[in-house]
Formats: sequence, C-alpha cells, structure tokens
Amino acid sequence: MNHVKISRRTMLRGLGATLALPWLEAMGPMTSWASSTPASQAAPNRMAFLYVPNGKNMVDWKPKAEGELNELPMILQPLAAHKRDFSILTGLTADKARANGDGGGDHARALSAFLTGCQPRKTDGTDIRAGISVDQVAAARLADQTRLASLEIGTEAGSMAGNCDSGYSCVYSSTMSWRSATQPLPKEVNPKLVFERLFGSGSREERARRDAQRKSILDLVKEDFSELNGRLGRTDQRKLDEYFAAVRDLELRIERAARLPEPTVPAGAAAPAGIPQSYEEHVRLMADLMVLAFQTDTTRVCTFVIANEGSNKPYPFIGVKEGHHDLSHHGNSEEKKAKIAQINRFHTTQLAYVLDRMKAVKEGDGTLLDHSMLVYGSGNSDGNAHNHDDLPILVAGKGCGTFKTGRHVVYPKETPLNNLWLAMLNRMEVQVHQLGDSTGELKNLA
Amino acid sequence: MLNRFWPSLWPAARLPQVAAVAVALSFGAPAFAASTEFKKAAVPFMEKHCYECHGGKHTKADLDLKTFKDDRNILPEYKTWRGILHQVNTGEMPPKKHPTKPTPDEIALFNRAIEDSLAKAEAKAKPDPGRVTVRRLNRTEYNNTVRDLIGVDFNPAENFPADDIGHGFDNIGDVLSISPVHLERYLDAAESIASRSIFLTLPKPPSRTTASIFLEPFGYRSENGTRPLTNATPELFVRHDIKVAGEYVFRVRAGATNLAEGEPVKMTLFAGDKELTTVTVTNPPQKWKEYEVKLDLPAGEQRFAARFENAQTNDVNRMLFVNEFKVVGPADTRSEFMKRVDAVRAGKSDVERAPAVVDWFLTRAFRRPATKEEVARYARVLEAGQAEAGGQFEAGLQQLVKAVLCSPKFLFRAELDDRPKTRDAHPLDEFQLASRLSYFLWSSLPDDELLALAAKKQLTANLDAQVRRMLKDPKADALVQNFGLQWLQLERLRTFAPDRTLFPGFDENLRKSMLRETELFLGEIIREDRSVLDLVDADFTYVNRTLARHYGIEELAFPNSGGEQRRFGFGRRRSGGGEFVRVTLPSKDRGGLLSQASILTVTSNPTRTSPVKRGKWVLEQILGTPPPPAPPGVAELEAQKELKGTLRQRMEQHRENPTCANCHQQMDALGFAFENFDAIGRFRARDTEGPIDPSGTLPDGSAFKGPAELKNILKEKKDLVARNLTEKLMTYALGRGLEYYDERAIKRTMTELAQAEYRFSTLVTAIVKSDPFRLQRGKDLKEQYESGE
Repeated sequence: MNHVKISRRTMLRGLGATLALPWLEAMGPMTSWASSTPASQAAPNRMAFLYVPNGKNMVDWKPKAEGELNELPMILQPLAAHKRDFSILTGLTADKARANGDGGGDHARALSAFLTGCQPRKTDGTDIRAGISVDQVAAARLADQTRLASLEIGTEAGSMAGNCDSGYSCVYSSTMSWRSATQPLPKEVNPKLVFERLFGSGSREERARRDAQRKSILDLVKEDFSELNGRLGRTDQRKLDEYFAAVRDLELRIERAARLPEPTVPAGAAAPAGIPQSYEEHVRLMADLMVLAFQTDTTRVCTFVIANEGSNKPYPFIGVKEGHHDLSHHGNSEEKKAKIAQINRFHTTQLAYVLDRMKAVKEGDGTLLDHSMLVYGSGNSDGNAHNHDDLPILVAGKGCGTFKTGRHVVYPKETPLNNLWLAMLNRMEVQVHQLGDSTGELKNLA
Repeated sequence: MLNRFWPSLWPAARLPQVAAVAVALSFGAPAFAASTEFKKAAVPFMEKHCYECHGGKHTKADLDLKTFKDDRNILPEYKTWRGILHQVNTGEMPPKKHPTKPTPDEIALFNRAIEDSLAKAEAKAKPDPGRVTVRRLNRTEYNNTVRDLIGVDFNPAENFPADDIGHGFDNIGDVLSISPVHLERYLDAAESIASRSIFLTLPKPPSRTTASIFLEPFGYRSENGTRPLTNATPELFVRHDIKVAGEYVFRVRAGATNLAEGEPVKMTLFAGDKELTTVTVTNPPQKWKEYEVKLDLPAGEQRFAARFENAQTNDVNRMLFVNEFKVVGPADTRSEFMKRVDAVRAGKSDVERAPAVVDWFLTRAFRRPATKEEVARYARVLEAGQAEAGGQFEAGLQQLVKAVLCSPKFLFRAELDDRPKTRDAHPLDEFQLASRLSYFLWSSLPDDELLALAAKKQLTANLDAQVRRMLKDPKADALVQNFGLQWLQLERLRTFAPDRTLFPGFDENLRKSMLRETELFLGEIIREDRSVLDLVDADFTYVNRTLARHYGIEELAFPNSGGEQRRFGFGRRRSGGGEFVRVTLPSKDRGGLLSQASILTVTSNPTRTSPVKRGKWVLEQILGTPPPPAPPGVAELEAQKELKGTLRQRMEQHRENPTCANCHQQMDALGFAFENFDAIGRFRARDTEGPIDPSGTLPDGSAFKGPAELKNILKEKKDLVARNLTEKLMTYALGRGLEYYDERAIKRTMTELAQAEYRFSTLVTAIVKSDPFRLQRGKDLKEQYESGE
C-alpha cells in the first residue's frame, strides 16, 4: 500500500463536522521535537506496544525466508511501503501465557502475560495478580522527564460481564499495562478524554489556577487518608495504598506541569468530539493521539490495545460477519482461516497508517519513527491452537539507531518474549537485569 | 444430593466438574465399602500418586501434601483442596508421564474422603461472617450517591474508567482498583458537580413567553401579533408544566379599544380555577401594557388564563386584545442543594454556620457522624475558600464539596471496626449496616430515615420494615439495573452486533426494547413480590409495538379497541417503539427470562444461534452449575476431522468424543430446546437446514418436546434455581465472593425462601438479616484453625 493521503473529507466523515483535527491530515511535515528544541539536544527514544487479539493465521504472517524482508506474506502486504522500517521476530515465546497447570484461559493470560512475563493468578474475583509490565518499568524511571509518565489507550472498554475467560477476571483480557503486580491500569478508549489527559483544557492560566486548587484538595484528602491508614485490614490497606499512590502521582504531575515547558500542540488541534462510529476511524484517531503525545514529548511510553484479547468483534465492513473469537476456533476450515487472515490484514492496514503518521513527523535528521521502538503483536500465536510460542511479533522504528530493521529474524525456540522487553528497556536507558521470565537481553536486533 | 440436576456437593465454590465425574462414576457403581476416612483413603492415594512431586522433598507449585497427615487443617485450605480435586478429576493430575494412573474407583474414593472431611469440618467450624474488602464506589454508585447527596443528576461518572468485575458483579471490593486516571476523573467530576450545584451568581428566573398565536383555543390567525377576545372566545389560556414549586409571576401584555364614554374593559387573570386579579385595560393595541400578578404555585401542570369579563356581542368598539403571556419563575433560583444548605445555616451565628454546614454535609457524604476533627478541618476549607473569594459563602461551599468528593472517606465504603482485635463475629455498627442496606438495594447512600434509625441504634430491630419500604422506593430500580442486568449478563446487549445483512430488522430501537422488556419483567418480580421461580417461566411479559411485532403478537398486545392492559409510560426514557404494555402470553413456549429476545440474542453468534452458548447460559445463570471450561487440547481434537451435516448432527459428532460428551450432552440439549427462536429471538418453525426439532433429553433422563416442557422441568428444580439466585444476590449484597463459611447463611436463606413460596422480598430480607451481611470479624480466623481448634 502506498502512502495514502487522507483527505480532510474522509477523516471528518463519521466524526461529526465539529471535529476539526488538522493534525490528522497527511499534509506534509509537522511540528517536531527537534524544531522547537536546540539542535544539540537529540530526540529521545520512545516505546509503544500495540496489541491485537486472538493470534494470527500464521501461514499468512510469517515470511518464508530468514534475513532481509523481500516478498511479504498476505497479512503483511499492507506494510509494503514500510518494508525497510520494521522487522519480524519469529520464535519468541510467552511461557507465562501457557496454562502451566491452570487449565483454560489462554486469552486472559495472553494479554496479561504479554508485557509482564508473569503467570497471571487464576481468579475471577479476589487477589488479582500478574506482574509489573515493561512499559510501567520504563514509565516509573522516566517519570520526571515528561508531563505524563505513560499513556494507556484502547478501543474497547474493560469487561462487559462475568468472568471473561474460563475463570479469569475480565481485567486480565482487557488490560495490558500493570503498574504493579496487583494494580492493572485501565485504558482510555474515548479520544476526547485522551486529548484532555494529554493537554488539559482551558488556557494556561486557568490550568495553573485549577492545579493550585487541586493541590490544596490533595493536601487535605491526604489527611483523611492518614486517618484511615493503619485502621483497616491488610487487603483494605492495599486499596488505600493505591489511592495514596494516585494522589502522589497527581501531585507530581501538577509539579511537572509547572516546571516543564508547555507542549506545542499543532496549531488548531482541538479535542475530538468523542468515539467515532467506525471502528477503523476509532483505531486511527487513537493512533493519532499516540503520535501526538510522542511528537509533543508529552510522554515517551504508550500501550495501545487495538482490541481486547478474546474479542468477538465482527468485521462486517471488510466482509467478515462472524465474531473474531468464534472464527479463531476455525477447526481447520479453510474458509474461516481466510477470514481470520482478512481480519489480521485489516489490523496491519491500521498499523501501516500508524507508521505513515510517525514517518510524517520530522525530527532532526530523521523522523519520529526513527526515534521510536514500536512493537506490534499478539500473545497468542494460532488462535485455534492457543499456542504461546512462535508469537507474531513485529518491531518497527530504528530506536534512535539501535534497531536494524527490514529483516526477518528467527530466534531459537522458547526464547522468552521478555528478553525483547529487556533489550528495549536498555535502549531507553533504563537499566534492568531481569523482568518477568527474561533470561537475558535479546540479541541480533541491531 | 445425587438426585440433583448437577449435583454440586460444595455449591459455594461450584466446581461441577467434580460432581460430573462423581455421577459418571456412580454408574459404574463402585461399592463404597472402603473407609472414606482421610487417613485411610486420602493419604494412601496421595502416597501413591502425588508425593513424588508434592510431598516433602519436592513441592512443585508450592504444594506439600505431606503437611496433611489428617484432615484437621483441611477447611482453611478449602480452595487448595478444591483445586486438587479438580485436577485429579479432570485427569490433569497426576500428569501423563507419571508411572501410576489412578483407577476410577480410586478417584471416587479419594473424592469421597475429601468431601466427607470438608463436610465434617464445616459442621464443627465456628460461625464466620467473613471479611469484606473496603469498597470503592463504582460508577453507578458514584452517580446515584451524588444524585442523592447533592441533587444533581447528570451522569458525572460518565468518564470514569470502566469498573472491574469479579464474581460476575462490578461492586466487588477486592477487584475495584483505583488508578491515577481515576483520581484525575474524580477531581474533574467534583469540579463539575460543584459548579452545577452551587451558583456563584444566581441566574435570573426563567421565563416562558407564549405569543398570542400559540394561546389556546387554537385556530385563530393572528394579526399583527395580537388576538382579540370576543364574546365567542372570551378566554385565552396556556398550559405549563411547572417543574419546581415556588413563587411565580404571571404577566399578560394586553391592550383595548374603547369609546371615550364606554364601559371600562375588564380582564381577569386565572391560575387554574383561581381568580388572581381583575384589571382595567386602557392602553390601545401596540402601546401594550403589562399586567402582572405574583403567585405561589405547586409543582405540576398549571393552566394560565386571561378572560374578558365584560365582552359584549354587539359592541365592536369595545375590544380586548392580548399580545402575549409570560410566566416567570420560580423566583428562587437557588439549586436544591443551596436551599438545603441555607436551611442548615438559618438561625445560626457567624461562628456556628460553617461548622454546622460541614457537620451536616460530612455526615451524609461519609454516611456516618463526622468527627470533631473532621468538622474542624473541613470548616477551614470552607472558610479559606470563602475568604479567597472575598467572603462569598458559595465559593467556600464549592471548595468544601470538591474536597469531600475526592476524600477516601467518600470514595471508599470503609467499615472501621471498633473492635478490630475481636476475632469472634460481632455486629457492624448501625451506620455501616445502613450503608450496606442502601448500597445493596439502591446503589446509593442511606437516606435520612436510615441515618436517623442508625443514630438511635434501631435499624437492626427494624430491618423487615425498612426492606419493605426500600423495595417500594423508585430507587430500588437500581436492583434491576445493576444486579439484574449483570446477573443475566445483559450488559453485553448494549454493544452486541448481530449481522446487519442477515438481521436487517435489528436496530437500536429493537435493542432498547429488548432490554426494556427484561427490565420491566424483573421490575414486576420485585415490585409485586412474585415468586423467583417465575423468572424461569411466566405467562406474562411486557412489550411495546416493536417487540410485539418481533414476537408476532401485535394484534394481541395492541388491539384496536384499546384493551384493559396496564400501561407504562416512561417519560423521557420511552424507547422508540412506543409505550410498553403488560401482556398475557398466548403460547407456553414464550414466557420467562429464557425466551426473552434480550437473552436469546446475547447467547447467539452474530450470524446464527448457538445452542451451546444458550445451554451454557442456562447452566450458569439460572441453575448455577457452570460447565467446566473445555479441557486443554480440545482444539487439536477438533482439528482431526471436519464435522458435516446439520448443526444438530455436527454437535452429535462432536459428542462422540468422550472428552466432550460429558458436558455437551447437557449444554446441547438445553440449547437445542430454544432453536425455535432465531439469533435475535424471533420464532421460526424451520431454518435453512429444515424443520426445527426442539426436543431433547437431559442427562438425568427427563425428556421434553420443546421449550415449554423444558421450562416445566427447570421450574421444578426449585433448589437449584433458588440456590443460584441466593448465591448471586448474596455476592452482590456483600460485595465479595462467597466462601465455605457462608454455606450456613445460604442454606438458611433457601429454607426461608421455600417457606414463603419463593417470594422475592423474603430472599432480600433473609440476606439482609444473615450473619455475613450484619456481622464482621476482626483478625483472620485462619489463625484460629491453625492453632488447632
């Protein structure tokens, strides 16, 4: 697929006419990190994790040969224009997404183990537990450098009902980012709220006044917190500690907002009106916001759940009427497999859009994509078999010159996916020796 | 026990796969002659099959079975034992590579030994009300609480992150977490609530102007924006819906023509039948003069009229003209909240005012009396806010509201124990009980009556009467909306998307109508205090035109003559298909939850029905006996061959596999009974594969010809239906998962329910009066068991 210019009309359709987002349009170079920063200061490295559910039709994903990417399989074809900007990593395994004695629940585990490398505890009620996720390790270390430590977005809100997968709480199949082993971070699905979270609302003065008021409210509620603190049981205390951590987090944000330079929001960018009707536009709008967050250096860490794990969303707009999850149990029906591949390809088409956007942002001598490490993939390999080895993993971007892209790299069987995370953390200058089930930094990336 | 449908020996945990195997095994009729004592039956089993990996030297998965030399400590490790039984019964343990493989008889004996030990231990155990983790208000509770606390109802929690769900509900303390995003949204919401409920500048009284052409009686063409009053039409009027009682002004702009010596033109103004004033109109038309009168009005529809008192047929020179009516008011434009605060302030000295307001507000917001320290601290917030705004009280009040709404004491329902060291069960304090009650039935804070009873320590003594009162309150709709829809998993219907080309008739209107039917149906069970067994099968339902057409009963529901049915209007919540009527259903097949379109739809695939999903739904939501998840490796089995034939035939081939047969025999039979209802709940006699055969046989041998007979069979499973609903409602009421020690309360509730003909209010009352609901305990009782009691 070629670099497609999105007409203003196309973008506005379905979004409502009030929604003018000039930064949505492919209208040439945009404001960048480097243009508003002294040339001496190099653009920072960013990390983004884009998750797609229910695995892939792997024969249509995996390139035939190892080494330089040439002919792309069907699912990857929409990315042809970006062939030199991404690599396919084959052979990585999320062992903690396997049952390991816990029985069914591969969807719940696939997402919650993806960035954590920890075995999620099987429970649909009490004692939710996975592990800290790679993005949050980075966010905690980089917190004082940007206005927002990290951004968690998606298109489907959390759980709808009941336990979502064989006795696992819905939290597991809808949450990718874990601030700690016991604290899943909810993702934002409303573009309007993401925008407000990134840039606030009102003028700078209004925000400053409100921040001052909020600070005094936070001071006060901290006193209420300390009165309750220590008077409750152990599990109660954990909930209260979460509250306190949130208060601290907000205080730091307010403090950073006063200290850090105001972000340069591209002229005329206004908050989106809400959630677009069309799923495709929703995905793209969220991706735009992620790009905007990176471009303005509001944050350097983002997770994006393109659809919840186990999602049974039908894709009638590409001719797939059946639910994605129902289809993924294809029972070897060729027709069903073809439809899954169609869904997979639809998702990579959206990825191509994201890469387009990131390349359109010029930074210094390169682009935003050159200064990013974007991972796209799933914690399930084949949706029918529910296997968690040989995962479909794509990395895009040059990571500030630390990634050599344009290749299909095959790793030995059972290489922990977390080794990739470790390698990425070190490229963010976050020195970590172990994360989840990692056994060392993943080699052969540069 | 074994004659139960899905014999569930330990229903609190519900691992029916255990029971399923037990049944399967009982057909083989092993003589349970061997001792089932733990030491004689379980220990040898473990020696032979388990210790190699889980005993002494090796403790894989942190499990050391050698610590269980006898069954003394078995109850506190209840969940571990459930897991062990599960793994043994499903063949996951011992693993395939293990040299020994237990025989069916060995497994059965092991099961009996463990079950017996657990039952024995339970009988001896001390009463334990359990511990409820501090609960954060969920979105619904936040909205309702703010509505009842401050009187604004605009869905302030709309932008909060979705609440996590545990045990099927979104009010479970353990899973409700709080993140920085939450706190940001709480601050946003608090600011928005404060500015909507407390006005720094009072708005002008709203006015409603009616130009003469819009005055009744209609039909007169206005000339130059005026209307004459004549002998034929001596009176003009307008009707307004007065939302808020208060002081209003009724103003009429009028003019008159008259001869110099003519009789004065007299106009009388009315509100309803009441004569307000009679004035003499002298100004000519276009030089209008306004005549007004102040009056106090109650809320409700009001008729405003002007009458020409001395109109005459033959005198064309003397006429009264009206240009417009205006109704202005209420004069008092303070919000409800400001009025309440002002009432608290009234008559207090300057020094007393802030503390009085703070005390009043905190007691409601925190749902218990405020402490002196709290009052002092928050009074400083109010005063500081007031001082900063140049002394304006309302600015201080806004600050107070914002701070309180972000306090953990508001956001969490903390039940501070005044005897935290007391291990034995002891009552919650009465304010905590009031909160449990109000959040259970209303998803909101306790009202003044509950708080007053709690203050007098009389709530416990009046629980029966309070439950009855609360269930009658419109706020009890929360029970339908939150408990009902979550229990039935109907939240999914809001986003469910049947295929548009196959089901072009499925639109937003139909979706809303489906949901509304179930809401009204559940509402009647609660409101009319019907038997909970009616949920399974009932001869009535609610339909609007859309749904009546969908069900093919439009003639019956909306006969041209009108009929005697009770009609339910919904004001602004009315869905597009018009108002709902209660109908008595003509066919026994349709009736009860199982045949409502809402449920039939969410248990289908986007393109077709799914008998498996429907069967599973009945097992999980109605009978409370969920089938176990498909065993690992099922996908590979499926991949071995492609299944052919009709859906029913394909499912039959599927069941040839013994791994699948056990559960699918049951799920499929239940599901196929509803095949006459398509994927959006319409009746059909045949599908693309031919005529539909809804008959079937359950594993226990009971056969049925179709949905009506199946529902009769299900309705007879009173214990299962009652137990399931009891467990679900108790989980929701307590905000925690049920544990082994809740079994007594469950059994007692079921007994009371059966004695009262399964009436819904009995269920609620029994739960409210149960130990887990009313009592608390201090330290973890586990320590007591471990100390060998």
